[in-house]
Amino acid sequence: MMSIANTEQKPACTTGGLGNYLWSDPPKENKWADCVHCGLCLEACPTYEQLGQEQHSPRGRVHLIKSVAEGNLFVNEAFADPVFQCLDCRACTTACPASVDVGGLIEEARGQVRQAMALKGWKAMTSKFFLETLFPHHDRLHAAGSLLKFYQKSGMQKLVRKTGLINIMPEHLVEMESIMPEIKTPVRKKYKQEQVIKAKGVTKRQVSILSGCIMDVMFSDINEATINVLTRNGNDVTIPKNQTCCGALHVHAGDREMGRKLAKQNIEAFKDSEKVIVNAAGCGCMLKEYPELFHDDPEWQEKAKEFSAKVEDISKFLYDTGYAPPKAELNTRITYHDACHLAHGQGIREEPRDLLLHIPGVEMVHMPNADRCCGSAGIYNLTNPEMAGAILESKMANVPEDVEMISMGNPGCMLQMAVGVQKYGRNQRIVHTVQLLDWAYQKEEEQGSGQDGEK
Amino acid sequence: MGKNKVKTSDIHILNLAKLIFGPQAILYKKEDLLAYDCDGFTIERHLPRAVVFPTNTEEVSKIVKYCAENHLPFLARGAGTGLSGGAIPLNNEIIISLVRMKRLLEVDLENRFAVVEPGFVNLKLTNSISDKGYYYAPDPSSQYACTIGGNVAENAGGAHCLKYGVTTNHILGLEVVLPNGDIIEIGRNGIPDSPGYDLLGLLTGSEGTLGIVTKITVRILKNPEAKQTVLAYFDNIEDGSQAVSDIISSGIVPAALEMMDKTAIEGVEAAAFPVGHPKDIEAVLLIEVDGIAAGIDDQIELILAVCRRRNVREVKVARDEAERGRWWANRKTGFGAMGAISPDYLVQDGVIPRSKLPEVLARIHKISEESGLRIANIFHAGDGNLHPLVLFDSRIPGETEKAIQAGSACLKVCADVGGSITGEHGVGIEKKEEMRFVFNEEEIKAQTDIRNVFNPDCLLNAGKLFPTPGRCAEVKRELASKS
Ligand SMILES: Cc1cc2nc3c(=O)[nH]c(=O)nc-3n(C[C@H](O)[C@H](O)[C@H](O)COP(=O)(O)OP(=O)(O)OC[C@H]3O[C@@H](n4cnc5c(N)ncnc54)[C@H](O)[C@@H]3O)c2cc1C
Ligand code: SF4
Ligand code: SF4
Repeated sequence: MMSIANTEQKPACTTGGLGNYLWSDPPKENKWADCVHCGLCLEACPTYEQLGQEQHSPRGRVHLIKSVAEGNLFVNEAFADPVFQCLDCRACTTACPASVDVGGLIEEARGQVRQAMALKGWKAMTSKFFLETLFPHHDRLHAAGSLLKFYQKSGMQKLVRKTGLINIMPEHLVEMESIMPEIKTPVRKKYKQEQVIKAKGVTKRQVSILSGCIMDVMFSDINEATINVLTRNGNDVTIPKNQTCCGALHVHAGDREMGRKLAKQNIEAFKDSEKVIVNAAGCGCMLKEYPELFHDDPEWQEKAKEFSAKVEDISKFLYDTGYAPPKAELNTRITYHDACHLAHGQGIREEPRDLLLHIPGVEMVHMPNADRCCGSAGIYNLTNPEMAGAILESKMANVPEDVEMISMGNPGCMLQMAVGVQKYGRNQRIVHTVQLLDWAYQKEEEQGSGQDGEK
Repeated sequence: MGKNKVKTSDIHILNLAKLIFGPQAILYKKEDLLAYDCDGFTIERHLPRAVVFPTNTEEVSKIVKYCAENHLPFLARGAGTGLSGGAIPLNNEIIISLVRMKRLLEVDLENRFAVVEPGFVNLKLTNSISDKGYYYAPDPSSQYACTIGGNVAENAGGAHCLKYGVTTNHILGLEVVLPNGDIIEIGRNGIPDSPGYDLLGLLTGSEGTLGIVTKITVRILKNPEAKQTVLAYFDNIEDGSQAVSDIISSGIVPAALEMMDKTAIEGVEAAAFPVGHPKDIEAVLLIEVDGIAAGIDDQIELILAVCRRRNVREVKVARDEAERGRWWANRKTGFGAMGAISPDYLVQDGVIPRSKLPEVLARIHKISEESGLRIANIFHAGDGNLHPLVLFDSRIPGETEKAIQAGSACLKVCADVGGSITGEHGVGIEKKEEMRFVFNEEEIKAQTDIRNVFNPDCLLNAGKLFPTPGRCAEVKRELASKS
């Protein structure tokens, strides 16, 4: 048995060190010491639900992470599998009575795995392309966005689909291609000339927004909606220039070094901001967790804490600061999906529902297990398509039949749910919560009754 | 996810892999097995030889037959939330995990029964039938995760078992794979009582030593018309205990009557589901009454009066379902909540006559002082089922042993006052020596004789439930000498 472990190569330099964790920034003992092995988290975990295997459950993962520290296990392929099959959905954090930070432990463990061994094959390609080549670089993202736009507008898309070229793409990429949102102009480009996008009416607060990397390219209309909704409610909005990708996907993938680099850049970029408003749950959660990245660097940890305190999700910000409920009616039946990083990661459940319910004419149908992961989980749907697909299938089974739209607060989920709608022959439109709100405001303006009235 | 690619020189694993179907239906690498080296009882750890994941009774039967023919020790595992080590592979067993057999097979509302596979999770049953106005009564605090198969094996109880009875009172039929691989069925079509010995009763609570349960018919109940829940805070634990006795002797049968002491309150308030219990009180009672709407208010009045007579500091009735839910979540996650104030805990499970409550609590307090370990008490006070939680840190040398001793001393107290050493968590590995507190050699032999009728070679879950030496110990030694 031990032979598997002994074949592991030792790292070139060992700075950290805790049992068989040989690199710096290992999983923190105080995090697993909270776990009493009660198992109450098992059923919350989507991968345990699918496989029924305990190494793929939160308790099992914590146990393995602890075993490495105790010297009973090595950081190798077999350890990497359960650690990387985790969706980072944080449902276990909600379920756990002892508030064990399973997600944090997993990310730290992934950091060790990535330093111990390199990725291979398709996964490596996807990861490298998205995480290193694309996301941290706005210019490249915009260029890719323009290409996509060209692809859609020029008729190439039609051509690819018609010629069957699409059939040679891997299945999950085909699914993705078919639901690609229509690419519009990123807000960073659009508002390039404006220092401040002024509030409509009296200015009450100043806020900055995280425009996001992929968000601004694939979903610029959501950023647009966010800006509209903020300015409509008395907020001057800035889009700090030097901001970059939040780093969540890098940290999920175990590249904590890159995570730190991006975090530092963002902390600097938002230095003068009072509030950092985020419309992507995954990014918001990451920004709030920046201090976790700097356990070995007190100076930056302090800065990260200050920064994190300023971060807020758009739905909670509107709810907390008081917003004007729109007066125009949007007659529609919708349901709401809790993005993992909003519900489990940030504890935000009621606020977005409240915003939606205050739009006249919106009827909300309950989705059973609304806070169950959809399988998107960053680029998990690209790196672990089989598991992601199985999870999506059970998610879609919970979507009520008779709704026109599914609302949520995370772009990753929106893409995945769009795949689901397409794949299972459903017809719902996928929308972001602020989009619905924005549409209602727009309609109100069209009807010419756009007067302020605080909630 | 992947399919079965089995690479090993262990011929038995290769053979077993051929008997079962499904993705990753067998685990055998050390890394994968580590997650199975213990259950909710973490003090003993042993690696299994393999874990298999059958999806139907026939597969279970084939696996068992193979194990029996080849003299391989094996045992069943559900969610692994057991607190006495019942699912720990002491003898390098093949673990037969039943979690992939998790279908709800049938619900018959008219005749009030449901049929489930053993891996079906307890709470899911109530969740599946609640919209039709029904529920499954046994509600162990682990019901979010534990399986009904595991509940049958442990004869699990729960907060609401005071009025409605424990698992055994709700089992109408079982399909069981015997240790030789034969499949038998006991009780059919929701009709439990057949002439002859009460085999259902014998198998329920047998801790996975007589057979592997593969299908279960359970009784389901209609939701009570009304329900009220009360929280009562006491400055003095004796007043709290006395209030428990008074409520029961007033003739009311509460659906649940739970108690937590100061240390337990500190834990639940520091954990994920706090409800704002005052920090300086000595005891909190959580009392629920249910039944037809007409009588409920009178019962609540009576309970409030009893509490006041016993110097309650504050007492309140849940305003709505949401508040009631929060109170219960706070209580039901109580064990896990100890993680917030201690790295490890050992939970004990004694039963005592209710009248001895103040005395027993005082003696447990003394054990805590002498051992230097904190002991929190969470318990089903209504039926005298005590759960002292010994808090310790396994990283400190010697502390685990101290915790085990303190736990055992608590059980001794329970036995001394005329009680028992387990109410609902089972004996498992943990309390097998303590069996001697309540049974003499002859009584123990009578029971092992019964086991040997079902499990003559002692391959199924050996080394549990009864103190060694017994026949199983010999098997263990024999196996040890072989490997
Ligand atoms: C936080 C917490 C709270 C708890 N609260 C309660 C409580 O309030 N009341 C209570 O009674 N218990 C409680 N328990 C203990 C535990 O949850 C129960 O004993 C439960 O019934 C175990 O179910 P399981 O599926 O986890 O079984 P496991 O732990 O997997 O197995 C338990 C035993 O049953 C056997 N077994 C499992 N499945 C089968 C099968 N299909 N056929 C034959 N044998 C089988 C195993 O071999 C083992 O001996 C609690 C545990 C925890 C961690
Ligand atoms: S992570 Fe939390 S819920 Fe899961 S086993 Fe550990 S303490 Fe229990
Ligand atoms: S984060 Fe999600 S997938 Fe990962 S262990 Fe927790 S519940 Fe399971």
